[in-house]
Amino acid sequence: MLDQLKELIVNYVEVDADSITEDSRFIEDLGFNSYDFMSLLGELEQEFDITVDEQEVINLHTVGEAVKYIESLKN
Amino acid sequence: MDKNSVKTLRDLYENAAKCYGDGIFIKEKSGKEIVEKTFNNFNDDCKKIANYLLTEVGKNLHAAVIGPTSYAYLVSYFGTVSTANPIVPLDAQLPCPDLCELLQRADVTVFFYDSRYAPMLDAIKAACPDITHYICLQQNENSVSTESIIADYKPATELPEVTPETLAAIVYTSGTTGKSKGVMLSHGNLIDNTMCCDGESAPGESTLTVLPIHHIYCFTCDILLSLRYGSSICVNDSMMRIAMNLKLFQPTIILLVPMIAETILKQIKAAAAAKPEIPERAIAQAVFGGRLKGIYSGGAYLAPEILNGYKELGIPISQGYGMTECSPRISSSIFTDESYGDVGTVVRGCEIKIEDGEIVVKSPSVMQGYYKDPEATAEVLTADGWLHTGDLGYVENNRVFITGRKKNLIILSNGENVSPEELENKFAGNDKIAEVLVYAEEGYITAELLPNPEYFKDAEKSAVVAELNELIKEINKTVTSSKTIRRIRLRDKEFDKTTSKKIKRQQTEQGEII
Repeated sequence: MLDQLKELIVNYVEVDADSITEDSRFIEDLGFNSYDFMSLLGELEQEFDITVDEQEVINLHTVGEAVKYIESLKN
Repeated sequence: MDKNSVKTLRDLYENAAKCYGDGIFIKEKSGKEIVEKTFNNFNDDCKKIANYLLTEVGKNLHAAVIGPTSYAYLVSYFGTVSTANPIVPLDAQLPCPDLCELLQRADVTVFFYDSRYAPMLDAIKAACPDITHYICLQQNENSVSTESIIADYKPATELPEVTPETLAAIVYTSGTTGKSKGVMLSHGNLIDNTMCCDGESAPGESTLTVLPIHHIYCFTCDILLSLRYGSSICVNDSMMRIAMNLKLFQPTIILLVPMIAETILKQIKAAAAAKPEIPERAIAQAVFGGRLKGIYSGGAYLAPEILNGYKELGIPISQGYGMTECSPRISSSIFTDESYGDVGTVVRGCEIKIEDGEIVVKSPSVMQGYYKDPEATAEVLTADGWLHTGDLGYVENNRVFITGRKKNLIILSNGENVSPEELENKFAGNDKIAEVLVYAEEGYITAELLPNPEYFKDAEKSAVVAELNELIKEINKTVTSSKTIRRIRLRDKEFDKTTSKKIKRQQTEQGEII
């Protein structure tokens, strides 16, 4: 899951996939702007066949939190 | 459509039904299905809402509507204005107390709401006792809904007289400074702005509507222009799903604000880097669904880098300029126009003069005033109809050029004026800087900077500080000595923004001086 997410992240920001950890923060560490982040969530919906709740995702700050959130939806 | 036969919003959708009948007006997702509504459906359903309001509420009402763009939202809007009463479109991102305050200020008695606001209803009912009717935009067992009205009522056959002077909408501005004001737009204002240019669209074209519907730019240029030209509106159901919806709906036109245009450009560049064997232009077309003719940009400053980035991909961007108070277009361009750093050509019927560097306009699109705020109205609108835009700029060969905002002007101790936007624009496209705000502080011109974390990845703070100082030195070489940046503040958080993603001039936190 983390690896799939990393592959998507590097399409938005110029970071090396290996440098992304669960603690990486989307905006502060990886350089996402708010619309980049929304777009990434849209891709996650397609990639993992889930439906994301816009109100809930406001609380996602780190890559690890996103992984947990996707896993909770898949289950 | 015969422009002369359209004087009001009701004329507009009635004429759209006559001219384009069973053509598709709206496509929207409902679960996994796409639901389509025709111009004829729209004409009937608006009149059913009007019938309900006149029968159940009465002749005099103010209705508010809140939610993302949807067919139900639009029939509520046009149904209300067909009764010769105003609609108040509200910002879907407002917190509950602000929402209640605007509902009260606008004397709202009928509230159309998207079901996602249902949890706020108790608080709204307590704070706004004048609201007598609540109508849900989705089917709802506990409340009247647009769907139940459309099922239960017939289209109104007799409607009150609506004239071009009739108030159509009270639109609250989401300005970057100060308290929001209720801009009163008449039917005549909105129709004038719908008809003030030619060639923006045509039957067979389709737009993906992605901007917030309570913004007048989206309302006039997506919705009203579709009714005029018989083009289709495809509803983007979430900011998260623009990429998916571009592929699904394959629009020919899209209205964007610069921030979204910039992200999509980045996505195209990333996809092109990953697949160097495919031409960039082909990738760009695929990202936009394959049929895109061009992008209309408005709402904020568009950096030349973004404009040129799209030009290289074969996708023209047309820029316009306007404000809510002007319904909104003051200048506009179409895809075939060359850009010379301007924001388009002055629209038909609009006069412009420059007073002390400020753009002042007069046109049939100019608002009636601010709702119940004659003092604020008198500050911007003269008795003979000239609107002070607050924007600094000039007109050359009928093209409008913007240089800054009057209220943001920094007035130096020597009396000289400096436009912060002029300095901020010097950082546009610089890969070291993610965001910048320029202001005066203790007599110094200060640039507050958010460094680009990608550029400074793993860099020590001292190295960041050294590079930023170097950058400011370089920028200072390009301006006259009175405009040089004397203080730098370093931030580690994004700036606070308005709901339309503009950086607010008033920030809650400040970066440290370096």
